[in-house]
Amino acid sequence: MASAIKRLDADEEVPEEAFDVEIVDMDFHVNPREEELRPYVEDDRALDRLSTEFGMWPIPDKWDAAYAIEEGNEGLFTQGRAEVAEDVREACDRFAIDEPIVNAGINGLPQQHHPVLKNAVLEAGNSYMLDHFVDEGVLTALSISKWDVDHALAELDRWGTEDGVVGAYSWYDPREPWGATQFDPIFEKLESLGLPLLLHGSLAFWPQHSYVGDNMLTWTEVLGFDWPIHTMVNAINMIMSGVFDRFPDLNVVFQEGGHWWLPFARYRMDEFYEMHPEDVKITPRKFEDGERYLDRSPSEYLRENVYVCTQPFALPRNAGEARDMLDLSMARDTFCYSSDWPHQTLDPPTWFFTSRAFRDDQETRDAILHQNAHDILRV
Amino acid sequence: MTASDTTDDADDYTKVAEVGEIPEGRGIGVDVGGIEIAVFNVGDGEYYAINNRCSHQQAPLCKAGEEKTNAEHTWTKTRGTVNTEECTVSCPWHLWTWDLETGVNEASGQRIATFDVAVDDGDILVRI
Repeated sequence: MASAIKRLDADEEVPEEAFDVEIVDMDFHVNPREEELRPYVEDDRALDRLSTEFGMWPIPDKWDAAYAIEEGNEGLFTQGRAEVAEDVREACDRFAIDEPIVNAGINGLPQQHHPVLKNAVLEAGNSYMLDHFVDEGVLTALSISKWDVDHALAELDRWGTEDGVVGAYSWYDPREPWGATQFDPIFEKLESLGLPLLLHGSLAFWPQHSYVGDNMLTWTEVLGFDWPIHTMVNAINMIMSGVFDRFPDLNVVFQEGGHWWLPFARYRMDEFYEMHPEDVKITPRKFEDGERYLDRSPSEYLRENVYVCTQPFALPRNAGEARDMLDLSMARDTFCYSSDWPHQTLDPPTWFFTSRAFRDDQETRDAILHQNAHDILRV
Repeated sequence: MTASDTTDDADDYTKVAEVGEIPEGRGIGVDVGGIEIAVFNVGDGEYYAINNRCSHQQAPLCKAGEEKTNAEHTWTKTRGTVNTEECTVSCPWHLWTWDLETGVNEASGQRIATFDVAVDDGDILVRI
């Protein structure tokens, strides 16, 4: 008996229902090529050195994520390279993504030593993004340096009020965490501009030059756990050092730092703080402000000021377990969908339409897919 | 998997395409009675049929080998690949490699369904 057959639609790669729901993608990488960035480097001296072989990337890695990927370094481009707005739109159509938040994703910058050259590259990347994406109506997160607060402020002055710039993009790394008071001028500026701070993992983790780092030889360890550990360190450091008491309207989004650690941090922070909080008054901000305790329980800042991107979601297959994890993680208030296009951890929104956890709770689904993003991005 | 005695009615083989419709090293996706199947051409007149959905995240395997965005600026040019020598397909999303004969992904130990394929008088047939 002949079966009914039909040829599958070649253009759509996620369930049909995904096209009926608004999807904002908090982490979509654009990859301008070096030769496209060069015209945007304004200082000829910097351009001269950047155009010299090994001018920008002199640090040899001890280990590389590429070892884990079937196609080596090409893993960073499993889907290709978006260079202009049209590329982004074409890629998003396939995955039912309505509003990608693009970034230039030059995630190797924090690893570089030279302060002048890396600032020049960062500026060039932002100028490129302004021309090719912001001006083309694509919502964009532009980059600010973590290594040079004055430079970050100058960049925010340059483009911080541009329509279409919806967030500031920077990095977490194994160096001083974002709770350090030296970053207060950035927080103050972001608050006044109404821009969230998007913090992405950086390649500064790759060559660890430490006993721990030197013995982490797999992608699973480094990308899978080192990034989330440092995300936790940064989020908790910002909370416990009083960043959000001083800047209550600041929102921080951690990208590629995992998300299922939230229940652990939520309960453990509250337990430890409520048990023995007497050191809080001697942390720099609280000491300066003459305050004894945090204004709220630590977990409340996690719910109110901290957001985490979901890629890769790694949702438990059992719907009941998935629901519990989502509840414990305060997902309705903290999770933002991200695809990480075009990298090897690409996460299309399939999970949201194949798990019963979301079929039974569309409010949480919509919060993750767009509402939380709307709440914090300057759109 | 002989070609001569297979017809839709006799052996539950269903025509899914005609020879020439699937380029070598590429595949197509078809829905046969509600089952999604990817059919690949590995050359020399050989075709393989496998569940179209990668067990990892339900990516459509039939897209393996599709050109990347700005492929000219990448090294491998394609999203996933159909390896005609090894008879494997790698997923266009995360490169999970599936053996087209056995349906096995070695790293995870997982297996997805494979289907018999026959070629009869210029038609490519799949048995469900």
